[in-house]
Amino acid sequence: MLIPRRVKHRKQHRPDRHGMAKGGTRVVFGEYGIQALEHSYVTNRQIESARIAMTRHIRRGGKVWINIYPDRPLTKKPAETRMGSGKGSPEWWIANVKPGRVMFELSGVAEPVAREAMRRAMHKLPMKCRFVKREVGEA
Amino acid sequence: MAEVLIAAESRTQFGKGAARKIRRADKVPAVLYGHGTETKHLTLPGHELMIALRTPNVLIRLRGDGIDELALPKGVQRDPLKGFLEHVDLLLVKRGEKVTVEIPVTVVGDVHPDGLLDQQLVQIAVEAEATHIPEGIEVNVEGLEVGTQITAADLTLPRGTTLAAEPETLVLHVTAKPTTVEGEAAEGEAAEGAEGAAEAAPAGEAAE
Repeated sequence: MLIPRRVKHRKQHRPDRHGMAKGGTRVVFGEYGIQALEHSYVTNRQIESARIAMTRHIRRGGKVWINIYPDRPLTKKPAETRMGSGKGSPEWWIANVKPGRVMFELSGVAEPVAREAMRRAMHKLPMKCRFVKREVGEA
Repeated sequence: MAEVLIAAESRTQFGKGAARKIRRADKVPAVLYGHGTETKHLTLPGHELMIALRTPNVLIRLRGDGIDELALPKGVQRDPLKGFLEHVDLLLVKRGEKVTVEIPVTVVGDVHPDGLLDQQLVQIAVEAEATHIPEGIEVNVEGLEVGTQITAADLTLPRGTTLAAEPETLVLHVTAKPTTVEGEAAEGEAAEGAEGAAEAAPAGEAAE
């Protein structure tokens, strides 16, 4: 699973959930991609689960790219705890994904296989997504 | 490549308010610059421009409001979800002038069944006459064996075009398909990595 090796601040504020993706909105490495249509925090477990769903479907052949990285910690206070006494302990690692972001890319397989693999991966992700293809020579 | 005629209007109001007003009217704010001339701010028809931009490196003839220029799209900003045009940068060109543009590299055929095609470059920089920019370069990969590499120097360029990229730049190569055993091994490594990282988290705490 993807986890940062070292972070500057162990407990951070929750990332901004507004706006659209500024970059990474097109398929650049592979031929097909999964694009986020909503804003969401994607945990490292969800990323790994989506990757496994995809690679198990394509079996042999094909290459998968993961374009997001869960570099932000989220904290949680234990259940039935009174408020105060400082910030909770880090619980999850998340990637802050904004609408338009291409999160996964795939190449080396036929389109129907890629569609099905990505459909399975989308079920593991916490937001609405869509299948996108690389546009050849688009300005 | 044929020119596409697009009616242009001069733009005198700037900023997000004016730009949004233009977009609401199904038009696109654009700028035209190049050859050391003063930048011209334009308004272009949205639908015609969108259709024109489907062709890579389309040559656009802008006419109207005292403007009669040839231009190439240099930068196109689109809405990431809906795909409509938000703004276009146009570069002024002259007939017969040589320009450096990125043209698409498309692949034809299938590689050897044991191989996996890894295309590193989907566009390549070439130098061509502004009025004769090729639509793309085709690479035939039919039956290529594992380990084969195609560099920029190996590409067959259309007539009147010269390579602007480094000749040794890797365009595509054929790698061996990962076996099922390798895939499972990768998954196993990922699981181990998770355990290792969980141990690493308290170490980070100690550092603070």
